[in-house]
Amino acid sequence: MNGAMWQGVLAALLITACVRPAEERATRDAAVGREEVGGVSVEVEGGLASVRALAPGGLELWGQAPVFSAKVTTAADAPSGLLLTVHNAMPDAELTATDDSGGGVPVEPFPSVRPTLKVWRVGVRPGSVARLTVSPPDWDADAPFRFAALADVQEALSRVGDVYARMSEDPSLRFIFFAGDLTERGQREELEEFQQRLEFGARIPLFATLGNHETFTQDARAYHQRVGRGSQHFVFHGVHFSLVDSGNGTVDPIVETQLDGWLDEARDAVHVVAMHVPPLDPVGVRGGGFASRNEAAGLVGKLARAGVDLTLYGHIHSYYSFSNAGIPAFISGGGGAIPERFDGVGRHYLAVEVSPREGVRDVGLVRVD
Amino acid sequence: MASALHLPGRWAVLAAVFALLVSARPARAQDLGSDSLSALDLLARGPELGASDVPGESRARKAAADITSRTLADPPVKPPERVSSDSSLPEPMAEVAVPPSRWSPAERPTFKPLPAVAAVVPGLVLHGLGPWLAGDAKTGRQLFALEGAGLGLIAVGGVPIVLTGASRRTIGPLYAVTLAGAGLFSISALSNLYAVMAPVVEPGVVPASLPPLELEMGYQYVHDPAFQYDHFVALGAVARVSAFRLEAAARMAPGEGNTRVRAGGAYRLMGAPEQTLGQGDGTSLDAELFALYHRFPTEGFTVGGGEAGLRGRYAMARLSPRLEGAFAEASLGMSFQGYSYPGPPSDDNLHEQLLFTFGYGVWLGRGGPLRGEAMIFYDHRKDDLAGGMRTLGGGVVGSVGLRGRVLLSNSWGIAAEAQAGGALVGRLSLLYALGGET
Repeated sequence: MNGAMWQGVLAALLITACVRPAEERATRDAAVGREEVGGVSVEVEGGLASVRALAPGGLELWGQAPVFSAKVTTAADAPSGLLLTVHNAMPDAELTATDDSGGGVPVEPFPSVRPTLKVWRVGVRPGSVARLTVSPPDWDADAPFRFAALADVQEALSRVGDVYARMSEDPSLRFIFFAGDLTERGQREELEEFQQRLEFGARIPLFATLGNHETFTQDARAYHQRVGRGSQHFVFHGVHFSLVDSGNGTVDPIVETQLDGWLDEARDAVHVVAMHVPPLDPVGVRGGGFASRNEAAGLVGKLARAGVDLTLYGHIHSYYSFSNAGIPAFISGGGGAIPERFDGVGRHYLAVEVSPREGVRDVGLVRVD
Repeated sequence: MASALHLPGRWAVLAAVFALLVSARPARAQDLGSDSLSALDLLARGPELGASDVPGESRARKAAADITSRTLADPPVKPPERVSSDSSLPEPMAEVAVPPSRWSPAERPTFKPLPAVAAVVPGLVLHGLGPWLAGDAKTGRQLFALEGAGLGLIAVGGVPIVLTGASRRTIGPLYAVTLAGAGLFSISALSNLYAVMAPVVEPGVVPASLPPLELEMGYQYVHDPAFQYDHFVALGAVARVSAFRLEAAARMAPGEGNTRVRAGGAYRLMGAPEQTLGQGDGTSLDAELFALYHRFPTEGFTVGGGEAGLRGRYAMARLSPRLEGAFAEASLGMSFQGYSYPGPPSDDNLHEQLLFTFGYGVWLGRGGPLRGEAMIFYDHRKDDLAGGMRTLGGGVVGSVGLRGRVLLSNSWGIAAEAQAGGALVGRLSLLYALGGET
């Protein structure tokens, strides 16, 4: 947050009166997971995976949710068969493939040396449409589960392996729910390093929203290409998860409209919402929250009325437990970026236990150092 | 939980700003030097012993003498202009006369294009460059010193913020110091421009007096993509009683129902009261106390709270005669607010906020009924209709704006404001003054 503050001061002088700085990112979100090359097109539902590479006969995705589906359309002259590679997948993820008539499509898994990297050969035929679903077998089970909440790695990228190692000691964690600031500058090389360290160091996948630091380089274009959407929504074990792009201390109206839909969808279910910049900084003098406190109050009020069960934030490099509009709220910016001093908390993450029937059971602070 | 800043931190913030404000030097125009009057002198010249009690009489006389002494070989000092041309009228009171300029017509700076250009580039970085190139090395040095002090305060406050990771335990005072530095830096930058541009026109003067009651009604436009409102009715009132100033402002969106009311008052701790403003040079220090109520029916919440702070204004002519007609202003305070939501949501947090503004302005008018001021400003608050800027750093930075308020006659005037934060705000109002005719 500190470096961001100074850059924000400078940037403010340059982009004064830019009332919708996140609009282009929100528009760009819609293009994530869509690609067409050489007679093969792919469309990932909800943008829950980004297309790393697409070529006749090959598709490489970066997953951004425990469960996602992609529609693959092949032209009549396209080669038969597709080698599907999915990075950042659930360790026990399986692939289900059906054709446009609902019939099964042959799938052949390949062994992988890394838990979150999955490779399958899919028997798609030329001139057909196939629906591919990547999911763990228990994805819709009505059972409690645990996940980790983390944010703000930034310049501590070279040390993030410590965090993953600590997480690996807890086999019950299913995935990492990441509230932004993966990198210091949001450059492509940094994001690639982040993903490599994740793939080699973590046992579980990481599903993220972007932070303000990702916007420092070309307004997070590299993030959209390499990672995925800034705002998205998925369901796991009946629990709804929403990741919202608040990187500029605001939620763009396009994203807010999407969020309205997700809130309606999850009105009777357990719902966890994460974003990078918290709407309201619990230390008001610091003002590390939204640019407009009125917008912040309106947003948390909306979340509360929709029955959101838990809000998770980053941006502030410490640990805070508080409430906003009555919703339990946690700031966990313990990924290693310049830490807040005198708080007695170093690098850390949250271990969250949630039940689709009971809601949030427990949120525990796990220290890494 | 939301009020995590400890009390010592809050007091440190207030104490630091108070010290900055009260350490201001006395006005040069009020500096009687070796001839300064003792309490006995003042008593002997008071009405009790038969002397005049015309406010500001001795000051004006002294100032004129001072100017004469600086312009021995120059033409006689231009006498104060009278509002009335009727020479049969008795000696004018200080309130209705134009205060004497610090420059005689002969030595008044003239506009020079090169310093004006240099005051922009590279003058926006080198803040004393404009007057220095215009031949006023002393003012140049003072502005360089002011710029250096601003940068120093930014470093003194900003570096620890970075090193402490914006710690909740130290952020309050450090923020105040950093923002004070940014304020000084901005003031020196604008002074640099003003010093070389001001000779284009006669500088304005401090209004001799402001009306005891002003009413305001106008229109305000707000463009904020996060809200559905756009159009507001702007209402306001200012009452001046002795050292007190009472204020109330309301903004109401007729179609949408959004209503914001801010009311409170200020007590003048230092400087001439606004009803007799001309007795001083415009330098002042006020203690302020306000309450805020803001209702958002569409978004479904209400904000309520209170705020307290200090607001100081400094006549820039004290720094240099070249800056005559300009002033710098700063304020520091804290607000405490709570949100209430209809229905199930319940929020019992008390949200605190650091209030900080700084600005640079000019007085408008040169005596008589036309009087007012215009100011460019920065406002750190995030809870008004403009909000803070939505930047790459999140929501740390506040808003900037330009506001002006001028009485065109004894009864009527206009006020206008443009502000850019997370939202764009524009306002135009009609003023009606009761009493206080000049």
